[in-house]
Amino acid sequence: MDQPWQLMKISLAPDPVIEAYKRDVDRTLIRENLKLTIDERVARMINALRLAEALRRSRGPGR
Amino acid sequence: MTDFASLLAALDEADVEFIVVGGFAATAHGSAAVTVDLDVVYARTPENIVRLTQALEPLDPYLRGAPPGLPFRFDVATVERGLNFTLRTLAGDLDLLGEATGSGTFDALLPHSERREVFGREILIVGLEMLIRLKRAAGRPKDLERIAELETIAEERAD
Repeated sequence: MDQPWQLMKISLAPDPVIEAYKRDVDRTLIRENLKLTIDERVARMINALRLAEALRRSRGPGR
Repeated sequence: MTDFASLLAALDEADVEFIVVGGFAATAHGSAAVTVDLDVVYARTPENIVRLTQALEPLDPYLRGAPPGLPFRFDVATVERGLNFTLRTLAGDLDLLGEATGSGTFDALLPHSERREVFGREILIVGLEMLIRLKRAAGRPKDLERIAELETIAEERAD
């Protein structure tokens, strides 16, 4: 049986571990992303994925 | 590489009821991280399971990471017997979740989702706060960096 309230019980209170990770988040990059449309954000992510894929292929098999 | 547009088109054109969660939803909300697959929570109604299997049939879905040759058929009976499926399709990797961690069913997530335009289609994407809850519920160490980024996005939006 579904218990949809379960997710709402999950606290969003500050977590010290997550807060520590936040120090490394690039807020400038996020602010730039928030200025974009969703399609532009997705296009940017896909371009990054293509680049990563091209780099992976350039290393050849087995690496 | 996953063809997100083709996967979303296949689901949308078949009128499958689904909500985008995971890394692609994070991207839609402003995350700069890259994701390699599409994660969706689908409605577990009999009608929707029929639509889902018909939508994906042309994409030849197979269990990701499973050895070739298994007697796996992505059909109505398979989906009804299972719940969550990690699939490799002709359009890339697709994670189908009947329930995300924390009782994140389609019905539970629907009030916390937003209909947004992606690739010229109106697609349901889980809201930022619920996405953070889902990531927190999953409790995976690999998600900590992503949660920190998503919470920072929420803070930046609030400013």
